[in-house]
Amino acid sequence: MIHVGLSGHTTTFLLDEEGYRSLRSYFERARSRLGGDPDREEVLRDLEQSIGERFAALSPSGGRVIAGNEVDAVLGQVGTVDPGSGNGPDRHESPMRRRPFCRIAQGSWIGGVCTGLAIRSGIRVDWVRTIFILGAVFTGGIVVLVYLALVFALPVVQTRDEYEDLCRLSP
Amino acid sequence: MDAGKSGALRKGLLEFVVLAVVSSGRIYAADILQRLGDTEFATKEGTLYPLLSRMRRERLLEYEWQESEAGPPRKYYRLTPDGRRQLAAFRAYWKSLTRLIDELGTPPCKP
Repeated sequence: MIHVGLSGHTTTFLLDEEGYRSLRSYFERARSRLGGDPDREEVLRDLEQSIGERFAALSPSGGRVIAGNEVDAVLGQVGTVDPGSGNGPDRHESPMRRRPFCRIAQGSWIGGVCTGLAIRSGIRVDWVRTIFILGAVFTGGIVVLVYLALVFALPVVQTRDEYEDLCRLSP
Repeated sequence: MDAGKSGALRKGLLEFVVLAVVSSGRIYAADILQRLGDTEFATKEGTLYPLLSRMRRERLLEYEWQESEAGPPRKYYRLTPDGRRQLAAFRAYWKSLTRLIDELGTPPCKP
């Protein structure tokens, strides 16, 4: 359980681990989407305040733990930050968008190597895992070493959305 | 109509729709969302807040803080004179556009 303070609200809210992670990653994404917006901090405070109002409706006295799925529902109502035109990073999509290799923690089994490869390539993660597992069996463990090397070599990204943002923002 | 095409159109119009909603008087962001909620232009905080802040930078809107009985103080928005001029210009432009589109659909008069 984590106590969270939100802009404008005098009481703190109690979130579980999962809810806290969702909230944090929402704000990290919002911050990167708003990029060069001169009013970025103010927009983030406005969002915090709105999210706080919805949390307050869930837990009027602030004493109840707000669970991950409730936080996700609130974030869904508030919606992904859309910087709109003339704000934030340049959103021209180039045909050769760089999609870096990463590990992705969301939905991972071990180190997120397969989820990362699957999301980068658009192949279903079940297939990537099957290939890795068969590879591990038939190569006598070499693939396991490759997997471990990748765990050390690749940077980790928390969620799929974050990865897509990273791709959008990278030059 | 194709959802993607009408979506792009609505997105472009949202700013003017917000101007129209705010023209009704001092209004709080949640009221703007609620007013738009059951229209074609239903939107969320994630879209509205960056838009409001840009419109304020462009001096179309201004806000003042007001205490609320429940929870933190709220920003109440209203149009500036520039905002009112922009809205009037938009309404005139929109009327001329709809007239033009209607006219384009009818065969030209033969001399």
